[in-house]
Amino acid sequence: MSDSTPPTNTASPETKAATAVPRRKRPTLYIFGTLLLLVFAGFALNSFRETLTPYVSFEQAERQDRNLQIAGALVSDSSLYDSEREALMFTLSEEDSSATMRVRYHGLKPANFEDAISIVAIGHYDGGEKVFVADKLLVKCPSKYQGIETTETKTYG
Amino acid sequence: MNYFSQLYLPGALAIWCALLFALTAIWGYSQVLTEDDPDKRRFARRAYQFFALSVVLAAGVLIILLMRRDFRIEYVYQYSGLDLQWFFQFAAFWAGQKGSFLIWLLWGSLLGVPLAYAAKRDEAAVMIVFTLTQLGLLFILVRENPFVMLAQTPTDGSGLNPLLQDYWMVIHPPIMFIGYAATAIPFSFAVAAMWRRRYDRWASATFPWALGGFLVLGTAILMGGYWAYRTLGWGGYWGWDPVENASLIPWLLGVVLIHGLHLERQKQRYRRANLVVACLLYLSVLYGTFLTRSGVLADFSVHSFVDLGISGWLIALMGFFFAMSVWLLATRLGQIPTESNEDPVLSRGTFLVLSTIAVGIATLVIAIGTSAPILTRFMENPGQVGPTFYNRVNQPIAILIAGLLSLVPYLTWRGNSAREIARQIGGASVAALIMAVGLAMGLRITQPLHLLFVFLASLALVTNLVRTVQKGRRGGLRSAGGYLAHVGVGIILIGFLASSAYDESTKVTLEQGVARQVGDLTLTFNRYIPRQGFEKEKMEVEVVRADGSSYLAYPKLFVNQRTRQVMANPHIHRLALKDLYISPIDFDPGQTMGSEQFELTKDQSTTLGDVTLRFVDFDLQAEGNALVQMQEGGLVTIGANVAVERNGNSVELQPLYRFSPNGQVESPVVPLPGGGLLSVLGINASEGAVRLAVSGVATGPNPKPARLSVDVTKKPLINLVWYGLYVVLAGGMLATWQRARELRILDSLRAK
Repeated sequence: MSDSTPPTNTASPETKAATAVPRRKRPTLYIFGTLLLLVFAGFALNSFRETLTPYVSFEQAERQDRNLQIAGALVSDSSLYDSEREALMFTLSEEDSSATMRVRYHGLKPANFEDAISIVAIGHYDGGEKVFVADKLLVKCPSKYQGIETTETKTYG
Repeated sequence: MNYFSQLYLPGALAIWCALLFALTAIWGYSQVLTEDDPDKRRFARRAYQFFALSVVLAAGVLIILLMRRDFRIEYVYQYSGLDLQWFFQFAAFWAGQKGSFLIWLLWGSLLGVPLAYAAKRDEAAVMIVFTLTQLGLLFILVRENPFVMLAQTPTDGSGLNPLLQDYWMVIHPPIMFIGYAATAIPFSFAVAAMWRRRYDRWASATFPWALGGFLVLGTAILMGGYWAYRTLGWGGYWGWDPVENASLIPWLLGVVLIHGLHLERQKQRYRRANLVVACLLYLSVLYGTFLTRSGVLADFSVHSFVDLGISGWLIALMGFFFAMSVWLLATRLGQIPTESNEDPVLSRGTFLVLSTIAVGIATLVIAIGTSAPILTRFMENPGQVGPTFYNRVNQPIAILIAGLLSLVPYLTWRGNSAREIARQIGGASVAALIMAVGLAMGLRITQPLHLLFVFLASLALVTNLVRTVQKGRRGGLRSAGGYLAHVGVGIILIGFLASSAYDESTKVTLEQGVARQVGDLTLTFNRYIPRQGFEKEKMEVEVVRADGSSYLAYPKLFVNQRTRQVMANPHIHRLALKDLYISPIDFDPGQTMGSEQFELTKDQSTTLGDVTLRFVDFDLQAEGNALVQMQEGGLVTIGANVAVERNGNSVELQPLYRFSPNGQVESPVVPLPGGGLLSVLGINASEGAVRLAVSGVATGPNPKPARLSVDVTKKPLINLVWYGLYVVLAGGMLATWQRARELRILDSLRAK
């Protein structure tokens, strides 16, 4: 087995550099490889575009059909939870604007939900029902961790 | 100067000494470069060793301060507390940013000591570069000194983040930092080789270090996955979170480097690519540190990130080493001696290159995904990508890699004919096919791509296993490390697919005492078990399986007393072929358990359910004299004496209330006899009244049952992920041993 013998690279750099053997070309193989790489790059780029969930304002969210994420503060006393159907409805108010958005989330209500200072909802806007349907929630709760007031973020969905 | 008076001098001195000795070592080694004199070399080595010793001393001081719970020190105050067991108190060392930079530096400085001897002829250049990498960390520590003292001494620290209070916290981060520290070694060898234009020894010299670093980082990643899966209740071992990716990227680059070095030693080729990868490996660690510690991803990650104000430093550090690498690569690549003859298509060399490229592409994809928030920052709306992206794009790469790996055992460096391989692989493919059909039926796989995936992963497993066994029989197990690692890769790939694409998860809410059907399981929430000592509150859930067998699951869901964070630990029932994973989400104690607040003046009493409370008086001597504490302006502790009567028994309890002028308040809870908790919410000094909170005491006549919400998941074959990683690491260990041995032989041959 050649892979158990120690390497024998002892030639000095100077002589090696001068006597580089010219590369034997195998054009078809390289063309095929390049094509494959290009196809893959296209596939990867497309996946990136499709799965990217941009952060948008409420107003922009209402005009788009794709997966998005919106962030806002929970409007107090706006949340309604149906424990039988495990559906949560709540309203987010946008920072720096007066816009609000109704959000619907299917799943169990996150713990400490009412204490949330900010919520990121990932999903899409349903123009028919005029509600943002969230597949995933990132709930930021205040926490005293590290002696400094920081936030703790948890994902649901 | 203010800066000095606020520092704990023994620790700060150690850090300054480290800085001094590091600079001395660099100067000393630069003298060795001009004239290699044994005395000069000894001097430089000694300076480096004193640098390492200083760092060890700094770490030692921090450990002593932590163990003595010296809350004068800001870092000790911020990350530890009186309620922590000693090992968590110890682990608070790496709970914060400053401490984690210190432990990173500690491992780096220690690794440099044997590195100086191992670098042999290239010692001076390698050590100068390596010490420079250590200096970067040292600068951060000089600026963000962990030995800053507070103006006053608090009586208790603010505690360790409850998420980190886990046994894995004691062991996982330090190992991760050994791995990070080790990535500076291939970088130093590469930069030194290009700088001094001496390329002949760098590959053999780097190989054992690169393998060792790969092993350690792999172990740390395995532990991190295990931690996330078994205790954090995140539902899986891998969430494609930026913090996780930041460790995966260097590990995958390590895989690329190891294979590249193997090729370089065998064929004297790919030297340029390896030098680039060695630079990228270290830069990726710096980049990952920047991503996860600068706060740039704060809106995108489940881990909390706090910007310490070191982003600028991290960018400068990255910029410096990036510029250094680019300049060297740009000026040297053209002159680097390399063989450029081509391998036949069907040969080990070509397949090694192809699979290494595939791993490199996967790394690039992960790096791009992780950087999405930064890359898209310049677009109208920055965004992020989730697990869907990583899973989708990596799937074809994984299939390709599995296919390439399954052929590797049959290929030689000289090249093979397709017919020869087809003849040899026949038996193995039949075995792999049987295995794949079994898996497909067991998991009900129908998707064609997944079928191909399972077949190729099985084939890679079988062919490499056969070769490992053959080598072992011939007494060459030592050189079978690569094959053994590839067996592990096959196992992991099967585990990945099964546990991610074929898990079944259901979220249910269980009413206490009412059995509920979930798939073929029947779950009953029996009872809530309160906290006992360090044993956390837990839920008892009876699970009856389809075959009638049953077990009791104890998922934990508790509120951390300090931070009010809700913590969940899943219960995992391990079966041979799958894990039953029960993760608690929410607990509603029902309406019988009331929680009330009321304000009582002296001798006033109130009744809640069967509990009668009477406020007796304040105790100003509860923990030292409160009046003196008030004058000193530090933390003030006041006790409230409360007489409690319940079912004819009466006791006097003393819940405490601590507050400081800067608005920090603590109110530890006191258990009530017969269940429930009592705490002080506030003090009304002008009226001489106390505000009390009582929770967990039955109040209403119409009880609403307690409810527990859980996530029940069946995770088939998930254990293959762990077993596969064990096998990969075992293979890596064999290879490390073999390469270190070869290096010794090579060096002794050279010496002759």
